[in-house]
Amino acid sequence: MASVAITPMEQNFLVPNGTFFVELIAFGILLFLLGKYVIPPINRAMTARQDAIRAEFAELDEAKSEAEAAEEEFKSQIADARHEAARIREEAREQGAAIIAEMREQAQTEAARIVEHAHAQVEADRKAAVASLRAEVGTLATTLAGRIVGESLEDEARQSRVVDRFLAELEGAN
Amino acid sequence: MTGLVPMADIKIGHHVERTFLGMTFNVDTIISTLVAGVLVLILGFWATRSLTKDTEDHVPTKVQILWELVVGEVNKQVEDNLGKVHPFVAPLAISLFFFILFANWLELVPTKLNEHTHLLPAPTADTNLTYALAAVTMVSVWAYGIRQKGVKGYFKHFLEPFPVLLPLNILEELIKPITLALRLFGNIFAGGIMLALIGLIPLYAMWAPNILWKAFDAIIGVIQAFIFALLTVLYFAMAGAGHEEHESHEEHEDEQRKKKAAEAAAVSDEATPVPAH
Repeated sequence: MASVAITPMEQNFLVPNGTFFVELIAFGILLFLLGKYVIPPINRAMTARQDAIRAEFAELDEAKSEAEAAEEEFKSQIADARHEAARIREEAREQGAAIIAEMREQAQTEAARIVEHAHAQVEADRKAAVASLRAEVGTLATTLAGRIVGESLEDEARQSRVVDRFLAELEGAN
Repeated sequence: MTGLVPMADIKIGHHVERTFLGMTFNVDTIISTLVAGVLVLILGFWATRSLTKDTEDHVPTKVQILWELVVGEVNKQVEDNLGKVHPFVAPLAISLFFFILFANWLELVPTKLNEHTHLLPAPTADTNLTYALAAVTMVSVWAYGIRQKGVKGYFKHFLEPFPVLLPLNILEELIKPITLALRLFGNIFAGGIMLALIGLIPLYAMWAPNILWKAFDAIIGVIQAFIFALLTVLYFAMAGAGHEEHESHEEHEDEQRKKKAAEAAAVSDEATPVPAH
């Protein structure tokens, strides 16, 4: 207590003593160690991570825009394909119609031709028949005459019989 | 009776002292300073060790996040006030924050019940430490100001805005470190006295105020560390202000910084109620 009275400043806790220099050195060392070995790597790591995140976001944006472009292309291709399909269908329908029309035309021509041909055939047959009939009529007449001459023409009955026979022969030959 | 007698046992500003080379050293302060410093360093190197382990995936560890929180915040403050992340100011503010934080929190570590309420006295409750920190800060601030503006430019600043204000400007420069040191000291010292007073309460009743006060003290520890670091950055900003900007703009910014610093100081001073003796 006596020392307090003699040297009051020594005991005043607001007045620094030798500890001040120790604290100064201690904090200096701490500052040096943190500033040299701890804080720079942390700053670097933070920057690196921020860069990485930024790069990742950029990549993401790029991928997104790429995907959007691809989708756009895909959609346009689908639309093109749809148009193409519609066009082909339309064309096919037109072609089908044309083919049917053509076929019908052909068939009608063919039918006309066949009918024509048939007519000509019938005409020819008729002509041939007429010609052959003409040729045979003479012979028949001759034969008939011969028969008539060969047979007695006395009675009516015989005469009619001959004629009947002739007619029957004629029918049979026909 | 019991309330008055142990009162005399509380020794305010008492330290374990050793005399060496004609100077007195407070051994307890030095020991707790070392403990706080070593804890900060362990935490720091722990963070950087796990940091370098896997850098490819960039996923930070928890310790790294803690450091990044402080480093990022300080960098932002420094960049906002100084225009760039200064390679000395930012590490200084970060070191101050972590060191003061750990120093403040040392007080919270309890010892044997009812003997002392804390194992180690906070080294920040000794003016030697706070003066030392304030000295480092202010000498750096002056050096920064002179380097930024040149010797002439820096001292011209003392005559502004009017030469009449020269004494006030000089006084301000001297008051800055003293307030910086004594604010921190006062808050933590008061916390220690509160703990000592709470220690006088009988054990069956002591736990409640002890827990409450230590929780509060923990927050004060953070606030004081934050204020010290923030004011350091702001003082650097004030010292370097106006060497490149327009005159009126600079004045305006300087005023704003002063206001900001004053507000910050006011907030921190209000944080701790003065314990009744």
